[in-house]
Amino acid sequence: MTRQITYDQTPEATELLSRTWQSPPGFVSWFTHVNQRQIGYRFVVTSLIFFALAGTLALIMRLQLIAPENTLLGADFYNQLFTMHGTTMMFFFAVPAMEGLGIYLVPLMIGTRDMSFPRLNAFGYYVYLIAGISLFVALFLGMAPAAGWFSYVPLANIAFSPGKGMDFWTSMITFIEISALAAAVELIVTILKQRAPGMTLNRMPLFVWSILVMSFMILFAMPTVMAGSVLLALDRAFDMQFFVASGGGDPLLWQHLFWFFGHPEVYIIMVPALGIISTVIATFTRKPVFGYTALVLALVATGFVSFGLWVHHMFTTGLPHLGLSFFTAAGAMIAIPSGVQIFCWIASLWGDRIRYATPMLFVLGFFAIFVIGGLTGVMVASIPFDTQVHDSYFVVAHLHYVLIGGAVFPFFAGLYYWYPKMTGRLMSERLGKWSFALIFIGTNLTFFPMHQLGLQGMPRRIYTYLEGMGWGDLNFAITLAAFVLATGFLLTLINAIVSRTRGAEAGDNPWQAETLEWAATSPPQNYNFRHLPVVHSRNPLWDQPDLARRQYVKGLRADRRELLVTTLLEAQPQSVLIMPGPSIWPFLLALVVGFGFLGFMFQPLLFVVGFALSFFAIAGWLWPRKPWLSTQEN
Amino acid sequence: MAAGCGLAALCLLSAGATAQQIVRQSALQPASTQAQSIELLWWIMLWAGVAIFLAVMALLAWGLWRGQQHEAPLGLTASKKFVLLAGVAIPSVVLVILVGGSLFLGRSIASAPPPDALQVRVTGWMWWWQIEYLDSAGNVTATTANEMHVPVERPVAVELVSGDVIHSFWVPQLQGKTDMVPGKTNHSWFVATEAGEYRGQCAEFCGLQHALMAFVVVAQPEAEFNAWLDHQAEPAPTPTTDAAQAGLAVFEQSCGQCHRVQGTRAVGVLGPDLTHLASRRTLAAATLVNNPGHLAGWIGDPQRVKPGNKMPRTPLSPQDMNNLLTYLGTLE
Amino acid sequence: MAISDVTAPQFSVDATDLSRFHGGTDAPVWWGIVGLILIEMSVVAAFVISYFYLVMVNPSWPPTGHPASELLWPTASMMLLLVSCVTMYLAGKSVNQDRITAFVCYTWASVALASVVLVIRWQQFQTFDFSWNDHVYGSLVWTISGFHFLHVVSAATGTSVVALLGMLNFFNSKQRIGVVVDTLYWNFVALAWIPFYLILYWVPRMTQTAGG
Repeated sequence: MTRQITYDQTPEATELLSRTWQSPPGFVSWFTHVNQRQIGYRFVVTSLIFFALAGTLALIMRLQLIAPENTLLGADFYNQLFTMHGTTMMFFFAVPAMEGLGIYLVPLMIGTRDMSFPRLNAFGYYVYLIAGISLFVALFLGMAPAAGWFSYVPLANIAFSPGKGMDFWTSMITFIEISALAAAVELIVTILKQRAPGMTLNRMPLFVWSILVMSFMILFAMPTVMAGSVLLALDRAFDMQFFVASGGGDPLLWQHLFWFFGHPEVYIIMVPALGIISTVIATFTRKPVFGYTALVLALVATGFVSFGLWVHHMFTTGLPHLGLSFFTAAGAMIAIPSGVQIFCWIASLWGDRIRYATPMLFVLGFFAIFVIGGLTGVMVASIPFDTQVHDSYFVVAHLHYVLIGGAVFPFFAGLYYWYPKMTGRLMSERLGKWSFALIFIGTNLTFFPMHQLGLQGMPRRIYTYLEGMGWGDLNFAITLAAFVLATGFLLTLINAIVSRTRGAEAGDNPWQAETLEWAATSPPQNYNFRHLPVVHSRNPLWDQPDLARRQYVKGLRADRRELLVTTLLEAQPQSVLIMPGPSIWPFLLALVVGFGFLGFMFQPLLFVVGFALSFFAIAGWLWPRKPWLSTQEN
Repeated sequence: MAAGCGLAALCLLSAGATAQQIVRQSALQPASTQAQSIELLWWIMLWAGVAIFLAVMALLAWGLWRGQQHEAPLGLTASKKFVLLAGVAIPSVVLVILVGGSLFLGRSIASAPPPDALQVRVTGWMWWWQIEYLDSAGNVTATTANEMHVPVERPVAVELVSGDVIHSFWVPQLQGKTDMVPGKTNHSWFVATEAGEYRGQCAEFCGLQHALMAFVVVAQPEAEFNAWLDHQAEPAPTPTTDAAQAGLAVFEQSCGQCHRVQGTRAVGVLGPDLTHLASRRTLAAATLVNNPGHLAGWIGDPQRVKPGNKMPRTPLSPQDMNNLLTYLGTLE
Repeated sequence: MAISDVTAPQFSVDATDLSRFHGGTDAPVWWGIVGLILIEMSVVAAFVISYFYLVMVNPSWPPTGHPASELLWPTASMMLLLVSCVTMYLAGKSVNQDRITAFVCYTWASVALASVVLVIRWQQFQTFDFSWNDHVYGSLVWTISGFHFLHVVSAATGTSVVALLGMLNFFNSKQRIGVVVDTLYWNFVALAWIPFYLILYWVPRMTQTAGG
C-alpha cells in the first residue's frame, strides 16, 4: 500500500511525504537537522554575520587611519584587526557564502530532494561554526593572530609570534578546511549522481556548472593549505624546522604552499559568482544567456589556469626572473576566459528591454567594478610594475575591486534574486535600490583613491603613517567613504530582516525564471518537489510552461527519505538512495574534532584524544541501522 | 628622572607636528633610470586600461540603451563574432603586447649590475636598517644605519639580507622593491639620475612596528658622496669638553650593550651603529627628524614613539641626559 | 497553480523497481570516497613536492650526521601492505560470491597485516637516531612517517569494524557497499606508502655524497 501513495495526489499522501522530509522543530532538534535547505540557509546567514563582523573590524581600522599618527588603536591591536579582517572575509564569509548558496540551490536546480550526504553537510556546518566562534573568542580575549591573513613565516613562526594567536590561526584554518572540503565532495557527488532524469551535463544550469568547477578547485587547492598549516603548527608546537632557514628549512616554502592554495582560493570565490551573473542575466532578459558552451568552457578554463598563477604573489622574493615570467604570461592568460564571459553577457544584454530590478542593478555594478579590478590585475601581473606596487595600497585597491566586484556584488544580486524563493517574500525594491547605490558609490569612493596612495608609496598593513607623507587627505576621505559603503550594506541587512514579515508575497516564480528551483513553492516544501521532475531541455520551465504536460518520476516511497540516483553523463535513472533522517552524530563529531584541534593548541596530546574519540563518533554515525521511517515512533 | 621624562614628552609633543622636509615616497616621481622605466610602463598601462574600461562600459551602455529604445537582440552569428572579437582577439593582442613589453623591461631591470657598481649590503632588522658599504673584495668599509648615501649617475648594487623575519627594501623613487628573506641573499640595483633625498619604507609586514620602519636615501654628486663615505669610515672624534666626556661615559654605560660607536668602548651590535649619528637627518628609522628635542624624547621613552620596539626606556637624570645629548651632538 | 492541483501528472520514469542497494559506481558514497582519496592524494603530493623542494635548497642531503636510514624494515612494511591489498581484494571477491566466512577471514588477515606493520613502524620510531627539531630532514622523516602511521591506524580500525559487521552477517553480495569503500580507502593508504617510502629511504641514498 505504501508504494501506491507515492504517486497518489491525495492530501494524505502529500502530508505523509511532508512529514517524512520534515526537520523536527525545537531547540535540541535543531542540532539534528540534515536537510539541505536548512543547512544551506544556515551557511548563508552565518556567512553574512561574519561579513558584518569583518566589515566592522575594517571600519575600526579605517578610523585609526583617518589621520596621520592617530592614537585610537595601538600597533598590536591594529595588527590583530587586519589579520582577522582578512581571515574572516576569506575563510568565514566568502567561501561559506558561495557554498551555502550552492547547498541550498543545487538540489533544487537539479530536481532532487537532498544532497548525497546530508549528515556530512550538517557536520561541515558545525565545523564552520565552531571554527568561526573560536577565532572571534580569541579576538575578544586579545589573543587573535596578528601576522596577516597569509601568515608569512618567520614572523608567524614560534620565534617571533610566541603567543597563542598564531596557534589559533593554524588550528582553526586546518579545521575549517575540513568544512570546505566536505561541502566540495558533497556538491560534486550530488551534481554528478542525482540530477533529474534527462538533465545531461549539457542541460545543467550554468550556476550548477559553476558550483561543480568551484568544488573541484576546492578539492585540489585546500589540501595544500592544510598541509602548510599542519607543517607550521608542527614547527610551532614541536620546534620542527620546515620553515626555519637555520635548520635547513625555507620561509619561501610557506609562501609556495600558501599561495598554491591562495590563488585558486580567490577564483573559488569568484567562479560561483560568475554562475550567479549568468543566471540573473538569463532571467532578466527572459531568454537563455548567449554562449552556454563558451561560458562553461570559460569556467573550466578559469579553474584550471588559476592553479598556474600562484607565484605572482612572490614576484619580489628574489626568484629567478625567467621562472617568474611564466607566471606573468599565465596571469595574462586568465584574462581571456574572463573576457569571453564578459562579452557573452554583454551580447546577451544587447538590445533587450531589461527590467532594472535590484538583482540586475548589482549585476551591472559587477561589470563596472570587476572590469576595473581585472584591469589592475593585468597591470600587477607585470613584474616590473608589481615591484613598485606589491604590498602597497595599490594592491589593497586591486583586491577589493575584484573581490567586491567579482564576489560581493554577484552574491548580493543572488541574495535579492533568491530571497523570495527562500522566504516566500520579496525584498523591498526601494531599499534595494538605495542599498545598491550606496554600495556602488561607497566602493568606488573607498577603494579607488587607494590606487593613488599605493603609487605614492603607502605600504599596506601599517597601523599609522607620518604627518609629512601627504597621505592624510586621501585617507580621511577614504574613511568617510567607508562609512557610506557600510551604510549601503546595512540597508540590505535591514531589508532582509524587515522583508521577512513585511515583504510582498512572492509566489512560486516572481521573476518568471527558467531553472527548476522556481517550480517549487516559495519557500519550498519539505520535500522540495511533490514529484521529482524529468527534463528534456536546458530551460525546463520556459520550454514547457504547461504544468500538466511536464513529466515526473514516480515510485519513490513517501514514508522514508528516498531519492533518485542517475548516471553520470546522460542522467538516466539508475537506482534509489535511501537517506538518513535527522541525526545528532554530525554535531557530536564536530564537537569532538573541534576539541581535538582546539586542545592541540594547549596540549598536543589532546589532539590524539580527539582523534581517538572521533572514531567512536564516526562509528556511531555510520553504524548500520534500519532505514529511517517517518511512520516509526522514534 | 620624572623631570627627564616630562622633558622628553614635551620635546616630542612640540616638535612632532612639523616635519621640516616632506620627503616623498612616490613611484610617480622617479629619480632613477629603473624607476623612470616603470613609471613609463605605468602610464602606458593606465591609458590602455582607461581606454578598455571606457570601451567596455560604452558597449554595455549602448546595448542597454538600444534595448530601451526598441527590442532588437543580437542574433546568434552577430553575438559569436562579437564575443570572438571583443573577448578573445582584441584582449589577446593587448595582452601579448603588455606581457612582451613587461618581460622585456623586467629582464633589463633584473639583469646583473655593471661591474663598476657601488656595493652596499643592507640588513633588515625588526625595525631598522643596517647599512654596510663594501669594497671590491667584499669587506666592509663603513657601517651606518637608516640612512644611505649613493652617488648620482653611478650604478648602486644592493645586497639584501635579513637578520630576523622577512622585510622588503623599497625606495619608490629609485627602484621597485625586493624582499629580504632569512637564509637568502637577494640583489637589486639602480642608477640615481638626480641628486636629492628619497624616502624608503619596509614593504613586507614584519611585526609590531612595521609601520615605522623607514629610511632615507641621499643621492649626491660623486665627489660629495666619496667625501661622505670616507668620513663614515672614520671612528668618532674623542670628546673634548667636560660635558661631552661625561656624556661618553653615560653612553658607554647605558647604551653600549646595544649600540656601537667606533673608537669607544661601546661595541654593541644589537641596535644601529651610532658612530655618526649627528650627521643623520632622521632618528628611529626615519620616524623623527633628527634634532636635540626629538633625540631626548626618543632616548627618554622610545616606547612612546614606537611601542613594542626593542629599545627599552632608559631613565637618566636631567644632568646625564644633557651630557649625553652633548656627546651625541659631537658624532658628526 | 502547483503540481498538486494537477489531477493526473504524467510519469515517464518509474523508480518503484529500481534497486535500493548499491554495489559500486552506482553508489554516491563510492564517488564520495574517491573524492576523499583525491583530497588525500593532494596532501601526499604537497608533502612529496615540499620534500623535493627542501632537498633542492639544502647543500647536502641528508645533512651531515644523518645517514640514510636502513632499508630492511620500511621495505618489509611496504611488502606487507601490498600483500594486504591482495587480501582485501580477495575479501571483496568473497563477499561478491556470498562466501562470508572467507570474506571475514581475509578481512581479519588484512587487519593483522596492518597491525604487524604498525608494530614494525613503532619499533622503527624508537630506532630513529635523529630528532625532528634540529634539521628539516628529521622533521620530514618524522612527520611523513607519523602521517602515514595514523592513516594505517584509521584504515585498520575501520576495517576491523567491517570485519565485525561481517561476522554479524551484515554483508552479502547485494549489501556490500561498505566493503567496497573500505577497500578503496585501504588501497589508497597502502599505495600511498610507495611515494613516501621512495622519498624517505631512497632519495637520501641517491643524493648522499660519498662519505655521507
